[in-house]
Formats: sequence, C-alpha cells, structure tokens
Amino acid sequence: MTTVQPRAKKLPLKERYSLLTRDLDWEPSYVSRERLYPYTSYEGIKIHDWDGWTDPFRLTVDAYYKYQAEKDKRLYAVLDSFAQSQGHLSLSDASYLNAIKIFIQGVTPLEYAAHRHFAFLARYLEGPAPRFAALCQSVDELRHAQTQIHTISNYNKYYGGFHSWSKMHDRVWYLSVPKSLFDDAMTAGPFEFLISISFSFEYLLTNLLFVPFMSGASFNGDLPTMTFGFSAQSDESRHMTLGLEAIKFLLEQDEDNVPIIQDWIDKWFWRAYRMSALVAGMMDYMLPKPVMSWREAFELYFEDQMLGGLFPDLDFYGIKPPRHVDLAIGEKDHLGHQVYKILHNFSFAAAFTTSTPTDEHMAWLSEQYPSTFDRHYRPTWEKHRRIEAAGGRAFFQGLPQLCQVCQVPMAFTEPSDPTRISFRHSEYRGETFHTCSDGCKWIFDREPEKYVQAWLPVHQIYQGNCGGPTVPDVLNWYGIKEGDNGEYRGSADNTSWLEWHK
Amino acid sequence: MTVKALYDYTFPSADRAENFGDDQLVFVHWAGNPFFCSAAAFRAPKAIPFAEFIQTMVEPWAASDPDFDSAAVRNWRLFDQPLDTGDGGKTLLDLGVTHKALLSFDA
Repeated sequence: MTTVQPRAKKLPLKERYSLLTRDLDWEPSYVSRERLYPYTSYEGIKIHDWDGWTDPFRLTVDAYYKYQAEKDKRLYAVLDSFAQSQGHLSLSDASYLNAIKIFIQGVTPLEYAAHRHFAFLARYLEGPAPRFAALCQSVDELRHAQTQIHTISNYNKYYGGFHSWSKMHDRVWYLSVPKSLFDDAMTAGPFEFLISISFSFEYLLTNLLFVPFMSGASFNGDLPTMTFGFSAQSDESRHMTLGLEAIKFLLEQDEDNVPIIQDWIDKWFWRAYRMSALVAGMMDYMLPKPVMSWREAFELYFEDQMLGGLFPDLDFYGIKPPRHVDLAIGEKDHLGHQVYKILHNFSFAAAFTTSTPTDEHMAWLSEQYPSTFDRHYRPTWEKHRRIEAAGGRAFFQGLPQLCQVCQVPMAFTEPSDPTRISFRHSEYRGETFHTCSDGCKWIFDREPEKYVQAWLPVHQIYQGNCGGPTVPDVLNWYGIKEGDNGEYRGSADNTSWLEWHK
Repeated sequence: MTVKALYDYTFPSADRAENFGDDQLVFVHWAGNPFFCSAAAFRAPKAIPFAEFIQTMVEPWAASDPDFDSAAVRNWRLFDQPLDTGDGGKTLLDLGVTHKALLSFDA
C-alpha cells in the first residue's frame, strides 16, 4: 500500500516574499562591497539600513506574471476585435491620431529607456528589496513599450506618421524634449534617477502626463489605446507607490540626505513639468473631442493632489514644494496655447499635422481660459484663419531658438507679462547659453558642465549633422515622409478619412 | 554646484564657436509679434554686413508673417541694449554680434 505524503503547506505571502527577495541577498566574499556596488556612494546619499526599504505590494514573480498575463489577454482581445471590425473608422476624427503619433514617438521610447535603466538599478542598488522592486518595474516598462507598440501599430496601416517612430525619437526636434530629459536622468547617479523618474515623473506628474492621453482616447473612440492605458495604469499606481517609498526611504536614512533630495526635487519637478508642456498643447488643441483643459488638469492633478496632499506630508521630513512651482502655477493659463503655437508653426517639420482651431474649438478655449484666450491668443488664430481663407497656410520659415535645458523652442513668456518672451542667458567658459525661464536657467547654472553638451536639434542642423542643409534633406534624415507632416486639412489622413466616411 | 561624478567630468560644449568655422549662430526676435512662437536661429558669417544679413536671412523669415513690412523695422537691440546699426555696412563682428547673440527688433 502506498502512502501519500501530505504536501507541505504553502508559506504565507509575507514569508514567501521575504524568501524571494531579502533572503536571496549575500555578503560578497571575493570582491569588496564597494566594487560590487560602485555607484551608491558618490552622490552623497547615506544609507544605513538597506532593509529599511519596504515594498508595500509584496508582489512575487509568479503572481506578477500571472496578473500581467491576464491583463495582456484582455488587451490583445480588444486589439483583435478593433482591427477586425475596422474600429479606426469610429474614431472622432483622423486628426485625433496626431496626439497618438506624439505618444508613440515621444512616450513609448521612454518606456523602453525606463526598462533599461531600472534593469541597471536592479543590478546596482545595494539592498535586495529595492533591487527586486527595480526588476519588477523594469519588466513593467518593457511590457508597456511592447503593448503600446502593438496597439498603436494598427493605425500604421491606414495613417501617416506612425512609422519610424524609434528613429524619429533619436533625431526629430520636438522629440529631443522627452529624449533629453531621460538622457539627463540616466546619466545621473542611481539615487538621482530614483528621484527624477520614480518620484518626480512617476509620482508628481504621472497623472498629468499619462491620464490625459488615456482620457483623450476614451473620449475620441480609441478603445485600444484606452485599454492599454488601463492595463498600464495599474502598474503606474504601483510605480507611484514605489516612488513615494523611495523618497521616504532616502529621507529616513539620514538627515544629510534631505538637502540633496530637495535639490533634486527642485530640478526634476521643473524638468518634468517643462516636458509636460507638450501634453498641455495636446490637451488644449489636438483632441477633436476635448476632455478637459490643461489648466483644469493641472489644478486637479498637481495643485490639489500634490501641493495640497503630498507636500504637507513631506514637510514632516523637511521637504518643501519644488522651487519655481509658483512659475508653473502662473503659466497654467498660457502653457497649452504657447506650445500649440510652436507645433502649428513647425508642423512642416513634424511627423504629425496641425490646424488652426475651428470656431467651435475656439469657443471651448474661450470658456476654459476666460482671462487669457480671447485677449492674448484668439487674435493670432484669427489672423491664421484669414490667411487660410485666402488660400495660404503660414509656417515659421526658418528654425527656432531653443532652450539649452528643456530644448523646447523659446516660446514661453515672462511671468509678469504674457506679451513678452522670457529670455534668460548664462555665460559659461566664455560662451553664451540661452534658457527659457528662471527654472531652466537655475538648472543650467547648477550643472553647466552637463548642459553645455546638449544635442540641440537646431544647432546640429546648422553644424551639418542632420542629413543636409535643406528642409527636405533634414526631413529625409528624420524619416518624415510626404503626407506625415504639415497642415491637417487636405492632408493624406484628412483625405482618406473623408473618402472612408462618404 | 558641479556635476557629481566618479571621474573627471569635463566635456566641450556641443555648440562651441569653433564648430561653426567662419560662421556663428545668431538669434533674431521680432518683439511683440505672437505670430512667431519664438525667436529665429540663423547660421551667419561673422563677416557679413548687417544690411546683407537682414536682407538675405532675416527678411525671408520675417515675411512668414504676411503683414511684415521691411520699411517698418526699427529699434535693433543686442541683448536688450540698443544697437546702432549705422548704414548697415558694418559686419556682425564689428557690431559686437558674437556667437549665439540675441538680436531683437520692433516692426
């Protein structure tokens, strides 16, 4: 007779998590700890107890993959259904896809960059718990990049501007804004990266950067993008919590860490905020069915949730709201208008199209921005309308001056005067460097050795490094094809859309 | 404050003057005209006479705005300081317009 041995009881989740993370750690015996972890001391951050890092989710690898696989199944079912039923025809308008072109060109490569750098942290952070958290986030970010590519590539069959996004990310002028931000973070030390990406990007501003795209998708009939948004958002919630965990861990380890972290928060809030300017332009001008204005989103997601909720908690540790936050608040009635003007001026050199807002859209803008739109921005759009009524379309026949730090064309105005462009400049080693704001100038002056190396697209074109001296040469080097760029009305996308909806 | 690094952190500027040879970058801003989102960037010879610079580079750009009138251009400034351009015969270098200088005008 055979005897069946009772199976060993499953361990409680907390204990399993501990075995899968902390107990996999060991003390090095044939190399020094400093050699094994060379990057964790030079930034000046002091860590006394790496086990002080707690992961609030205690997610194990097997549970993680099971959960993500279920989400993927749902997403890919939606993608199949959307593709088979020609779902793209039920979008609000083909012009909506301009927002999604910016997303795949500007955001998806950042997901991949985050995947790479969290993998780096998963190797080089000294504590096993933060290493495991970084590993999970690295896998998340790779999955985000993949699901976004799979989702959005469906549109590549029917619309311009969706090809070559990876090459464009490395080359095209407006994409140097997100690319340079991530390059800045990835070339910093591991703790600064945590504050830049996990805290400032994933916690402080993620709702402003990510949610508007997903809400815009929902409002404009883009079910696949909305679904990958939901799929990623549950990961983002975990990343946000880890971002908060990271900053609290660092602050609790040593009082000397506080001023270093405050300095990084000051820098990275402004860097991430300036990049979010592209989202402001998208929200205010690029959605045929707008969800909410930039101003409303900024008030809800940043002023209420962060300044009203998070920073009073961080005050306990001696952390103050970011330097220059008042400038960001002061800009909220202007940012979207000023950024869309840039895109409208230069869409001849972009892999998306723009158009002057319609009467209906201007009425919405007027309602959303009662103190600024009619006074400062409507007159310029009316002038464009007159030019277009006469058969023209005005673009900026040249190249713009760029900010040395954020790399956005210098379009922002003085805090005290929205009719005057804000020019700031610094001298370093006998050379002049221009910045768009007090925030960017402060960042430049703090680390000039870093920002003098900036690969500014306009200056690179003038140095002959971008395919040639003419606009067609540069567009060819960018990978932008005829029909990807310029004015939306009469474009290839617009023409196809009208044909399909006869 | 300087960059914290594990090694000597010294790199040349990506846009140092020597990368442009006999030319230089010059930025030109049409003050108070929101039709242009920003100032324009030009690569111009250091030795180009100011009038030629305006005629061959600045005016074609400014004409993106159909209301541009070259006769109305006035009040040239170099980094906010008034710039006496004389009869336009002086070169950019003679006028003190160096690499990455910012010029502004009203029109």
